[in-house]
Amino acid sequence: MKHFDILIVDDERRYADMLARRLALRGLIGKVCYDGQTAIDIVAQEHFPMVILDLRLPDMYGTEVLAKIKTCRPETAVIILTGHGTEKDRETCMAGGAHSFMNKPLNIDRLMAMMARIKERSS
Amino acid sequence: MMKSPNRFLGSIWPRFYLNNDEHLNPYYTFQDYRQTWGMAIFILMTTALLPLIVMTLIYYQLIETSIDTESLLRTERATSNARRAVTFFLEERLAALTFTANEMGYDQLTNPGHLTEVLRNLKLGFGGLTDLSVIADSGTQVTYAGPFNLEGKDYSNQPWFMECQQHDACVSETFSGYRDVPHIVVAVKSTRPDGRLFVLRATLETERLIQTLSAYKTGEHADIFLVNRNGLLQTPSQFYEGESHHVDITLPTYSNRTKAVMSADRNGQPIVIGYAFIDTEIAPTSFILMVVKQKAGMMKVWLNLRSDINWFLVVSAVILAIVITLTSTFMVNKIFQADRQKAETMVMAEQNCQLASIGQLAAGVAHEINNPLALINETAGYVKDLFLIKAQYEDTELVEHIDSIIEAVDRCGTITRQLLGFARRFDVHTQPIDLKEMVADVISFHKKEAAYRNITIHMDIPETIPLIETDRGKLQQIILNLVNNAFQAIDDGCFLDIRAEMDGSERVRLFIRDNGCGISEDHLNKVFEPFFTTKKEGKGTGLGLSITYGLVKKLHGNITIQSKRGEGTTFEITLPIQCQKEV
Repeated sequence: MKHFDILIVDDERRYADMLARRLALRGLIGKVCYDGQTAIDIVAQEHFPMVILDLRLPDMYGTEVLAKIKTCRPETAVIILTGHGTEKDRETCMAGGAHSFMNKPLNIDRLMAMMARIKERSS
Repeated sequence: MMKSPNRFLGSIWPRFYLNNDEHLNPYYTFQDYRQTWGMAIFILMTTALLPLIVMTLIYYQLIETSIDTESLLRTERATSNARRAVTFFLEERLAALTFTANEMGYDQLTNPGHLTEVLRNLKLGFGGLTDLSVIADSGTQVTYAGPFNLEGKDYSNQPWFMECQQHDACVSETFSGYRDVPHIVVAVKSTRPDGRLFVLRATLETERLIQTLSAYKTGEHADIFLVNRNGLLQTPSQFYEGESHHVDITLPTYSNRTKAVMSADRNGQPIVIGYAFIDTEIAPTSFILMVVKQKAGMMKVWLNLRSDINWFLVVSAVILAIVITLTSTFMVNKIFQADRQKAETMVMAEQNCQLASIGQLAAGVAHEINNPLALINETAGYVKDLFLIKAQYEDTELVEHIDSIIEAVDRCGTITRQLLGFARRFDVHTQPIDLKEMVADVISFHKKEAAYRNITIHMDIPETIPLIETDRGKLQQIILNLVNNAFQAIDDGCFLDIRAEMDGSERVRLFIRDNGCGISEDHLNKVFEPFFTTKKEGKGTGLGLSITYGLVKKLHGNITIQSKRGEGTTFEITLPIQCQKEV
């Protein structure tokens, strides 16, 4: 079975794909999905050390997905990446167990640094 | 010296009189407060004074009518009494003569000794007789008794003699006669034993008649006298004697009854005239009895009272006017102030509403732009990755171009974040805020301008300042507004100093100081008023500091200003570390 380092959940398909490619170039193997339910199913079947999660998803809100992931896999680090997160969203997500909260457009170097820290901690 | 009365006037002068905030006009309930004020005073004065004045006038009218009626009645009564006395005076003497003529007969009366005896008895009985004489039907005086020797006089041409021939008796008008003494002649006709006629004549002293009349004179403004039908005075008049002994008032028309009328004297003064045409039962006379009273004299008491009432009316009117003016001014001023507050709130609300709509629009735009922006970012990043990480291609120039794309996207990202931040200014919720970070954030917006204008920004916020529990959007707006304000006030090359310190353990103080143009003392207490601006028309809304003030108050803080013209301005904001949740 193929081993994945990260799950990218974003309804903007091209964005998610592009992010996966960039991460792949940096040695992180990522899986991409475009809605909340699929993401929950995937996480239930398989372990991902990290999940990048958008808040606005076509079938449900990101916080809901976050809650399900954390119930199912408490050890998974969930990074929220959203285009229009409010302070309230940030609070809710952090309280819901998210590892961090980032705004789009993304600075890939900051993301990489953060991921490195997560990896370091988990190992 | 002039300033203190002006200040006093300014404090009592109604505020609506100085109203010149034209921008508030559309929101006022009344368009013209001066007019409203004037109308209020006018209506109140009219409703208060009009009934008072009308009632007083009606009262005057009633009183004067009743005084007129009363005067006429009283004058008529006095005239009637005087008439009876005069008539009786004449009738009594005529009756005595008639009795004497018939009782004594011609023969006895022509005896001078006898006639003198009769005269003496008559004087004793009635008085007022001067002399007595018997005149033959030819008009020649036959016998005379009295102080003057008038025997042999011919009276045939005298009017009284001719009248006596026609009637049985006569009363002459007052005349001076041969003796040049005013007197009245009374005469009766009788028959001699031989059938011829003779006349018994007596002279009456007018003095006696005048005395009788004056007994009926009442009051110092009253006059009583007799005139003949041509207006010639028969007894003297105190006030109304005109040229050649004629009265100078209009003679009344004939009436067989005693009457009283209103008239006017030669000066136009109102008078009451009572009159009676005197006729005795024995002989007619040409006398008119006149009682004249000055109306003013009779109304003196009333006129005094009226003057008192007038004074009372004037004083009441003045007091009413003062009370009404003060009350109206006070009330209209109160209404104006309430209305002004309402107008200001409405302007503020409208402005906030506009800002909120702009915020919504901005948030919408930011949302829509953010996603494509993220895609551009990742795509450009990927292309760069292809060059740098995968090393598939090699073109340093192209990589530089990609970098500028990424940089531009980053700038756009900052803008959309700011727009979203602006939109969220209207949400109210508190959160922990790092003051230093926030100030740095705000300053970063102005970095370019500061660099361009060579403005030094100095920030001194110690690490000891704890996180502040307050509303992020509002605090950001406050700092942004004050920094903006400072940037507009300072010249190129000046400095801006932002400093914070603790104020006890519960509050934090933030100073924003510039060395710009400063604010004059006159304007200092107005800067937080909405729409106060010293900028040119169209350049500033005058809302910035007013909104800032409102926001600081919302955060339960306080803002003060110190400024000196030419030296700069310092805003001091005090905020609680724990901003209580708003109700």
